[in-house]
Amino acid sequence: MDLEFFRFDNLSNFVGIFIVFFSLLIIIYSFGFMRKRKGLAGYYLYIILTLIASLGVVFSNNLILLMVFWGFLAFLLYLLIGFGQKKNTHYTAKKAFIIIGGSDALMLLGLALIWRLAGTLQMDKLSIALNTKPAIWAYLCLAIGAFAKAGAMPLHTWVPDTAEDAPTPVTAYLPASLDKLLGIYFLARISMNVFQMNNAMNTFLMALGSFTIVAAVMMALIQHDLKRLLGYHAVSQVGYMVLGIGTGNPIGIAGGLFHMLNNAIYKSCLFLGGGAVEKKAGTTDLKKLGGFAKIMPITFVTFLIASFAISGVPPFNGFASKWMVYQGVIETAKNGGHLWIIWLVAALFGSALTLASFMKLVHTVFLGQPSKAHSQEPGARSPKETGPTMWIPTVILAALCIIFGVFAYRVPLRMFILPSLNQAVTFSGTWFSSLAGILLLAGIAIGFIIYLLGSAVKTREAQIFVGGEILSDVPQMRVSGVEFYNTIKEIGILKIIYRLAEKKAFDIYELLKKFCFIFTRILRFIHTGILTTYLIWILLGMIILFFVLMR
Amino acid sequence: MNIIPLFVVIPLGSAFLISLLGKRIKGLPDSLANLGTLLMAGLSIYSIFLIKEVGVQVYKVGGWTPPIGISMVLDGLSSFMLVTVNLTAFLITLFSISYMKKYTAKWKFYTLFMLMLGGMNGVIITGDMFNLFVFLEIAAIASYALVAFGIEHEELEASFKYMVMGGVASLFILLGIALLYSLTSTLNMADMGRVLTAQGPSKLVLFVSVLFLVGFGLKAAIMPFHAWLPDAHPSAPAPISAMLSGLLIKVLGIYALMRIFFNVLGAQPAILDILLVLGTISMVAGALLAIGQEDIKRMLAYSSISQIGYIVLAMGIWTPLAILGALFHLFNHAIFKSLLFLNSGAIEYSTGTRDLREMGGLNARMPLTGTTSLIGSMSISGIPPLSGFWSKLIIIFAAIQSGHFVLALIAILVSVITLAYYLKLQRYAFFGNLQDKWKHILEVPFTMKLSMVILALICIMAGALLLPGVREIFLKPAQDALYAGKDYAATVFESIR
Repeated sequence: MDLEFFRFDNLSNFVGIFIVFFSLLIIIYSFGFMRKRKGLAGYYLYIILTLIASLGVVFSNNLILLMVFWGFLAFLLYLLIGFGQKKNTHYTAKKAFIIIGGSDALMLLGLALIWRLAGTLQMDKLSIALNTKPAIWAYLCLAIGAFAKAGAMPLHTWVPDTAEDAPTPVTAYLPASLDKLLGIYFLARISMNVFQMNNAMNTFLMALGSFTIVAAVMMALIQHDLKRLLGYHAVSQVGYMVLGIGTGNPIGIAGGLFHMLNNAIYKSCLFLGGGAVEKKAGTTDLKKLGGFAKIMPITFVTFLIASFAISGVPPFNGFASKWMVYQGVIETAKNGGHLWIIWLVAALFGSALTLASFMKLVHTVFLGQPSKAHSQEPGARSPKETGPTMWIPTVILAALCIIFGVFAYRVPLRMFILPSLNQAVTFSGTWFSSLAGILLLAGIAIGFIIYLLGSAVKTREAQIFVGGEILSDVPQMRVSGVEFYNTIKEIGILKIIYRLAEKKAFDIYELLKKFCFIFTRILRFIHTGILTTYLIWILLGMIILFFVLMR
Repeated sequence: MNIIPLFVVIPLGSAFLISLLGKRIKGLPDSLANLGTLLMAGLSIYSIFLIKEVGVQVYKVGGWTPPIGISMVLDGLSSFMLVTVNLTAFLITLFSISYMKKYTAKWKFYTLFMLMLGGMNGVIITGDMFNLFVFLEIAAIASYALVAFGIEHEELEASFKYMVMGGVASLFILLGIALLYSLTSTLNMADMGRVLTAQGPSKLVLFVSVLFLVGFGLKAAIMPFHAWLPDAHPSAPAPISAMLSGLLIKVLGIYALMRIFFNVLGAQPAILDILLVLGTISMVAGALLAIGQEDIKRMLAYSSISQIGYIVLAMGIWTPLAILGALFHLFNHAIFKSLLFLNSGAIEYSTGTRDLREMGGLNARMPLTGTTSLIGSMSISGIPPLSGFWSKLIIIFAAIQSGHFVLALIAILVSVITLAYYLKLQRYAFFGNLQDKWKHILEVPFTMKLSMVILALICIMAGALLLPGVREIFLKPAQDALYAGKDYAATVFESIR
């Protein structure tokens, strides 16, 4: 049998290169961040194993081989989250592993279905039409694996938890960059090569993507933990990639892949910046942060650049890829139907809200007044930038944000993205079209309106400020920004949804857990430990067997 | 010289010697038991190559040619089972050297242990129906005593329940064998198969099938005949828990079920369907019960029910691939479940508790136990590239291949629950912060470590058994022997000639 286990094409080369790149940055960063912790040999071993396994995933041609690497990555993620030092770390590690491991198990089902349908598991030999039920199930099973890894809704709940509880380099490495690269790589791979997509499935993907964008960013708005907020953005951004791939046309897919790359860049930059703040302040609670721009100028600038990039402000890279995704969505109008308007609006709305939430974040963390709590904490007094191993990676990433934005076509697109696609990409319209400018401005305007709504509604009585006071002595003068958007929590239906979401009513993990434990309780209840009961079971079982066999 | 009887003679002989001399000569029980199991592990591995070279072997006890006398048959399936049993048993005796020190009567333990092992080897190797019953009873009675070995209140109660239900099982099995004897006038399994084929289908065979399903189902702890297991397995000393959960339920239950139903009675569709249903019930309910447990060994015991469910399910699918999956999962489960029980034993050895809520952070003091336990847990949860992943993969592929989509989905979901409760175990026992009262506990002694490390290594490497070339030596002969179905009779008679 001619089995080609590994295969190198443009798409896998491109993802592979960036996997190595991010791994190097994270290792450099970890030298600073993880210093003086226990078990570092294990930590670096797992990071390197993650690198190897990720490369294994992108270069595998055989689906079982891919599955082996893929499943092993989930295990490594579990081990890496375990290095966190928060109270809930182990619960989070477990939750992440169960969600990802569970969807990996479903992928196994998808693999088995493909094998039944096509008789082979070599990806280059597969091209399955999505016209039979097993084929659709197979696609969905594999897509679930990709969604869980990338953190698309509704399998996203491990991402914010992980962001909060795992060590920052781990968050920047796995949920923010590598898992996105791999998840979206795999989604693109199955959508482009393994299966032949049809309209219905594309629409499903676009709907899921749009929903993810909006829902996750709405959750991000109300968070009061730095890393958790970033975690929700990590989820929200996946929506753009899924949306892009769901368009099914070359420009949309290229946009999705480009966004995957850009997201990995600015999101890890944000997380690494956040980690630097955490290292200085000893906390990620937004209420206790503030005024870090003075202390850490480099981190502030890189964080700001990355914030603009993620909000899709031109000329940063997030704008370029979002723009391509929008074009892809508009392109789908050619297939008929008017649903594309909804997707487009959702994407733009999400972009605006992203900006809004980053205004809150940048204000709270870097601008504003330092909080009492923070200035009193030991170790927080050294008004210094972090060590070079921690800021060099963020500077490199911020520089890439600019380069990939300004020279979007010349550098990343022509070198990496466009060769990965089988088809030629045609850009409709001009590159920096005025329409996009207006839309973006509208997005910023919406962000401002929400910002104003948040701060204008509340009024506060204060003593007259004559100037000359020491600001930190006047607690009312400190506007922390944590509650910028709390007003949207009070609006009609959103109020109910937010309350449910905070109770984890939409967390698929918690739901399944509750469902499971209902049965567990019943089963435990009937296991009384009384011998006669057990003997009656045997008798009943025997009667049923007699009935079934002898009738 | 024929090696076949040695599998029964060595354990029974060493049991005899240990009970005779073990009290007087210090160190004899340990060394004799370890030597015996090591020898048998070696012999069983040798038997694989023997079969590859000369084919199926039949030993005529006392020189009586079958179908008159008792015969012992060594075919692919029995040699596969012998390797599984004796290899694991050796590693468990290795563990027992240090572990059993805290019990006063080590020689009693080893006597019963070797009796049980002899019984299991006998069940595997015998070609005679009544002989199978005798060996089954030897193993079962030894295990009743071993469950009660601690002679505390809890152990005695568990042992009593186990004995009553085991007695019921033996009764049904004996009744079934007697009825088959009345029908066929022979007790030799090969001959019985031949006569039954000649006679054609009959109601009595179906009646006997139910008796066997209940009897062997009880021994294998298939739901709803499982209720003795969650009490009995945790109560025994850890090495015995490992033997019971890892091996005994498989040999007395699954192996006997496979041999009799497939090789003697023939695989009937109705029986296969029942196996599918029972397997699924055990798989699901076992997992759901396991996730609610706080006692580490009780959790492992329920997990055994769940994993046995996988094996029974795969048997019920009855395609060559499914049989391969069932056998491979049987082997893997023997390894990782023994490992996990030994880990729980190591924890109990160091801390004296089995309650998950009292543990925490044990990784800091017992890194080796923690690591091997993690490997075992991941393996049983089906995380690649560990052994459990491969056997579950095969079972799921087989289910899909034969069109059992829903069952495949259920198997997948159960494996997610499995992952959940093993992570619960890991989280409570090994991760987190070390409690103050465990600040000064020590890692276990060398032989216990060695045994756990070897088992963990097998978990990591076992996937290699599927590689082409390796598969033909170990798994394929067993798969072929079982899938041959009623051709078993012809094979046996051919090798006598």
